[in-house]
Amino acid sequence: MKFRGKIIDIACLNHFTRVVTTISKLTKMCVLRLTPDNLFFVLSGKVANGGVSMWCELSQANFFDEYQMEGVSSEDNEICLEVTPENLSRALKTVQNAKAVKVKLTKKHCPCLTIAAELEMRCVWGYIHLQSALRTRIQPQPTLSSVSRVVTHDVPVDVIPRRLWHEFKEPSMPDFDVSIYLPPLKTMKNIVDRMKNLSNFLVIEANLNGEMNLKIETDLVSVTTHFRDLGNPPWGDDASQDGGPSQSRDPESMVEARVDIRRLQQFLVGQQVNPSKAMCNIVHQSVLHLILLHEDMSLQYFIPAVA
Amino acid sequence: MNCVLEGNSIKAFGKAIHALSRVGDELWFDPTVKGLALRSVNSAHSAYACFLFSPLFFQQYNLDSVREQDSGPIKCKLVMKCVLPLFRCSTSIEHSVKRCQISVSTGSDQVIVQFFCRHGITKTYNVRFLESEALQAVFASHLCPNVLKSPARLLGDMVMHFHASQEEVTLSMSAPKVSLRNYNEGRNDHMKMMHTEMSLHPDEFDYFQAGMDSDITFCLKELRVTGLFLEASLLLSHENIMCAESESDTSSHVGNSCLRGHIAVLYSVLGIISM
Repeated sequence: MKFRGKIIDIACLNHFTRVVTTISKLTKMCVLRLTPDNLFFVLSGKVANGGVSMWCELSQANFFDEYQMEGVSSEDNEICLEVTPENLSRALKTVQNAKAVKVKLTKKHCPCLTIAAELEMRCVWGYIHLQSALRTRIQPQPTLSSVSRVVTHDVPVDVIPRRLWHEFKEPSMPDFDVSIYLPPLKTMKNIVDRMKNLSNFLVIEANLNGEMNLKIETDLVSVTTHFRDLGNPPWGDDASQDGGPSQSRDPESMVEARVDIRRLQQFLVGQQVNPSKAMCNIVHQSVLHLILLHEDMSLQYFIPAVA
Repeated sequence: MNCVLEGNSIKAFGKAIHALSRVGDELWFDPTVKGLALRSVNSAHSAYACFLFSPLFFQQYNLDSVREQDSGPIKCKLVMKCVLPLFRCSTSIEHSVKRCQISVSTGSDQVIVQFFCRHGITKTYNVRFLESEALQAVFASHLCPNVLKSPARLLGDMVMHFHASQEEVTLSMSAPKVSLRNYNEGRNDHMKMMHTEMSLHPDEFDYFQAGMDSDITFCLKELRVTGLFLEASLLLSHENIMCAESESDTSSHVGNSCLRGHIAVLYSVLGIISM
């Protein structure tokens, strides 16, 4: 099992760091699957995390300038690691100024993902000015020399054996009843934040007319926020092969899912960048499926409905 | 004793007190001919800091004003909790305080701090002190075999790679490089801790002397305190840090001393040499 990747472009590094940081806000531990073309951050729905599951897909070519991997075997050319994304995020955040960042699978005291970066410093007569520094110190007789500062972070990982790989497969698209575009995530987050103070559960309902409501109900108070004109994604053929929910369903009728409000809030809090597309699929009283599509990464999040 | 501060000096003085408050709960206030020394030590006596403000730092600096008899230099110890609130709000100090006068009245065992503010407002604080022996860390920095000297920013760069919760780090010095890595005490889950190491080239330092290869482990939190003061005052003027290591039996001291304008800061943190 081997893995070595190198990121040189500063924008790619920045982007990758943001993706990892988003993942770290969603879950404490997750599985990183490495294949020749992609990286996946996977969380499988277990009782321990409230049945929530996540699937994040990145195309390695969009981030890495060099990428070499050798899986467990030639038929199973894949590597599955259990990792704490927050450690990765912390490590990446400190090396944003690097000339190049290498990520490789190593074995130190235990299997690790080692993030090694070289930061280039220019020394003027022993003083430093970082290439991106605000001030330059100038000495009377400058002697320019370039030195490298090396930073290494060893993030411990657990290798997942092949017999457990079936738990981390790509989730299939649920047989949803309604699919709708989400309102601006920031707006949703503000609303959910306030609703969280009143109730532990939130009902999200939507119809095929681009209308969505977020509702909470307690003994004393009920609050509903209405969104209009959100638009429904045209799943087209995909939808019709499931028995055509879009054809038989009355566009006005609402489907709903009652979810734990903290799970939804956790999802919204983690989003740092506005996605190109944000939508959700609702299976009536069963599951809330949130999909975020960015230029080079897609994130799916499943929140099960509670009674 | 009587001294007057104006303008940005008040802010710098306040920041020094903030930095000292993170070290210990008591502030040693020691006016001498060399300048006003503010010192603090933590309860475990493993970290010591001293800010020495030279007479040139002040608008006025008089040692021999209020005392009747020549009883020698004043040595007083103040409770940090009483002094810190006076300099807590650096932004409001910046805006409203024009002058600050500090004087010691041995007769009534008080340090009197007066803020002359805008609109003719004067705030006077009387802080009682306890007589005490002067505090002084004892180690001979000139005998240190290993010496590093660098700009303030370098210290910040080194510690930023470590998480704020990281308690201890190990500094290794050898001829080709200097490295800093995190130190995790043996724990059940130590296998699962993230290891971070960063190494620097000797050329990055203004002065580098590695008399002997050594590894010293010390508490990072205490080192960060110095970084804070320097970082906050970065805008004011040029600064220099010297980090000196020395050995004595099984313990070592890691000290930082820096000159900033007319302030000399000596910082010493106890560390443990590892084999």
